[in-house]
Amino acid sequence: MEVIVKMMNIKRVISAIEKNYIIQNLRKEERFDDRGLWDYRKISIKHDVIASAEGSADVSLGKTRIVTGLKYEVGEPFPDMPNEGVCTVMAELLPIASPLFERGPPDEQSIELARVVDRGIRHADCVQTKKLCIEPNKAVYILFVDMYVLNYAGNLIDAGGISALTSLISSHIPEGKMEEGKLVWTGKYLDGEYIVKELPLVLTYGKIDNMIFLDPSLPEELICDGKISISVTEDKITSIQKSGEATFSFDEIKMLIKKSMEIGKKLRKDLNFWQYKVNYE
Amino acid sequence: MPLVINDEYPEKLFRDDGKRLDGRDKTELRPIKMEVGVIENADGSAYLEWGNNKIYAAVYGPREVHPHHLAKPDSGILRVFYRMTTYSVFERKRPAPGRREKEISMVITDCLKPLLFLELYPGTSFEVFIEVMDADGGTRCAATTVAALALADAGIPMKSLVTAVAVGKIDNELVVDLSGIEDKAGQADLPCAITWFNEELSLLQFDGDMNLEEMEEFLSLAKSALSDIYEIQLAALKKKYIDIQEEVSGGNS
Repeated sequence: MEVIVKMMNIKRVISAIEKNYIIQNLRKEERFDDRGLWDYRKISIKHDVIASAEGSADVSLGKTRIVTGLKYEVGEPFPDMPNEGVCTVMAELLPIASPLFERGPPDEQSIELARVVDRGIRHADCVQTKKLCIEPNKAVYILFVDMYVLNYAGNLIDAGGISALTSLISSHIPEGKMEEGKLVWTGKYLDGEYIVKELPLVLTYGKIDNMIFLDPSLPEELICDGKISISVTEDKITSIQKSGEATFSFDEIKMLIKKSMEIGKKLRKDLNFWQYKVNYE
Repeated sequence: MPLVINDEYPEKLFRDDGKRLDGRDKTELRPIKMEVGVIENADGSAYLEWGNNKIYAAVYGPREVHPHHLAKPDSGILRVFYRMTTYSVFERKRPAPGRREKEISMVITDCLKPLLFLELYPGTSFEVFIEVMDADGGTRCAATTVAALALADAGIPMKSLVTAVAVGKIDNELVVDLSGIEDKAGQADLPCAITWFNEELSLLQFDGDMNLEEMEEFLSLAKSALSDIYEIQLAALKKKYIDIQEEVSGGNS
């Protein structure tokens, strides 16, 4: 089995025989890598791995691996939100990660990854932007959550969501205040518990014919008709992204939203995100 | 844009007990850890932790050249891309590669080229991608060292490995393996790399001021440090196969 997975993981094109193998397994509600339809691959999280970053996470989802770091700057707020900080998400698909990735400016896939993760976080009550204000109209924190893909084996979005969230939770941002128009350091740090409230998770499903399954691995991603990513918090849906040419029926969407709430709830409990909080002195 | 904490350099780079700020002696290296085969998809890969530096290198090749006009009919080409993540440095780096990264990529390409038999692979390219995840001085040397490991891990025929280290002058003393602070606040910095098949220097840069005697002492300091790092490289390469051997023999018994 391991050999089949390895063989399928390094190609751009999946052969008809491999494709049929995957599809026939799905028809029996089985996966070619021994998972059930609604199972994730193994998730492992390491936090605070980058000394230069103000928060970081190294997340593996199966063989997919993303290292995310958090940096900050102090800048002027947007005029329409004078007392709120900003949190932006960027993603880079390193050419290290796969022969399918090429160097150069961000392509559609990396922009989609960044934007879907960003929207999941933005529309949940996750980053407490009001607490990132140093002085209204003048100085707020601008947070940069930058994701770097180190190995690509399918479903970057879910791995990205987990790593962005973990790096925010592991954050230790120096606390500043304004004294006579100058920015000074108080000597304290803002930690994850202070700036993060809700824990949004994004769950991605693949669809082949009329079969839907969670967490597509690379071969499944390459042959699937389309995908749908649903971001959920404990009690709300915060963003949905459908991609690929597949169409989803109303009933399927309803079912997936319900599933996402259930699986999200369990995953959030299993991963126990608050253990990655860092006390930084 | 400002940061809450400023990046400041200390006035003195030696502690009162004569050791350096991180507690090292003058000729002591920072802790170095290397591992090969760390990136599943790559043809060869390596990871290096050198003090606070954390660097991944991956090799793809020999493969088709993109864009095609770069291909040479009589030899393969080697391309090295040294890049840093935005969060690897004190102040967030812009995501697009800058002049510094492009220059270092070129210097490393030139350093690695003598090791390979490119003429055996006409019309193809070898691509080495180096990603600095965390930086703390001496990244070009660390990057060169780890790139050589990744090439070897990819099974690409090489004349030998290459090893690099920086020596420098801080507070008028010659030291080995400059840390980030020492690099910025020190007086001189000399990164060099040795190709072991002929024991000659394949990468050499120098910034600072130095007289002739110091230069000679520098090179001998570098040489002994390079031998130590070379041993770690060899051990990392062998370890992958020792692990496989143990796994196989463990399964049989």
